[in-house]
Amino acid sequence: MLIITRKLGEQITIGDDITVAVIEIKGAWVKLGVAAPKSISVHRQEIYQKIRAQNVAAAAISMADFERASVIIAKTPSRSEAT
Amino acid sequence: MKIETTRFGTVSITEDRIIHMPFGMLGFSDQKRFVLFGHKEKSPFCWYQSIDDPALAFVVVSPFGFKSDYAVDADEAAEAMAWEDVDENDLELYVVVTIPMGEPEKMTANLAGPILINAGTRQAIQLVISNSPYTHKFPLL
Repeated sequence: MLIITRKLGEQITIGDDITVAVIEIKGAWVKLGVAAPKSISVHRQEIYQKIRAQNVAAAAISMADFERASVIIAKTPSRSEAT
Repeated sequence: MKIETTRFGTVSITEDRIIHMPFGMLGFSDQKRFVLFGHKEKSPFCWYQSIDDPALAFVVVSPFGFKSDYAVDADEAAEAMAWEDVDENDLELYVVVTIPMGEPEKMTANLAGPILINAGTRQAIQLVISNSPYTHKFPLL
C-alpha cells in the first residue's frame, strides 16, 4: 500500500483520469472529492462490502432451501400493502 | 444455444435472452452474461443464472411486490452504462434474495444492491444505493 501525506486542498492522481482531492478535514473526518470516469464505480467501502457479501451469501443457495422458501412465500399474503 | 447449469442441468435459451453485465455482479465481476427465467407460475421468484459459470445463480424478485414505493435513481447507472435515450418502459428492477442455509424463513432481499435491466439494450448493472433508507437485508417475511 502506498501511503501519502496530503494537506487540505491537495490532490493525488491515480492513472490518467482519476483524481482524489482532500476537501475538508474536521477532527477525525476527512471529506474527499473523487473525480473519475463514469465507467469507474466509486463507493464507500462499507456499503460496497455489504452488497458484495450479500451477493456471495445469496449465490450459495441450495435447491432444498429454495424449494422450502418457495412454499413459505406462497403461503404468505402479499406484502404489497405493508409499509 | 445451450447453457450448462449446476441446478437446472442443460438449459436451452435463445441468444436474444442473454443479459450483458459489463461490470458483473459485485464479487463476481468475471461473469458478464446472465439469463433471467421465472421459477414457476405464481411464484414471485426468478432465477438470474450465469451463462458462463454453471454454478453461479441468484434468486431474484421484483421489489415492488413487497415494497410498492421502492424507487431508485437510474441516471447514474445510465451514464455508467452509456445508455442514451432510455425508454423507461424498458427498465426492469430486481433485487437479490438471500436464503440462509437451513433457515428459509429468514430470507431477505437486498434493497441496497438492485439489478437494473435495460430490456432495450439487453444490458444490466447492479446498483450500489448509498445514502438511502434501503437495507441490504430486508426481511421478506
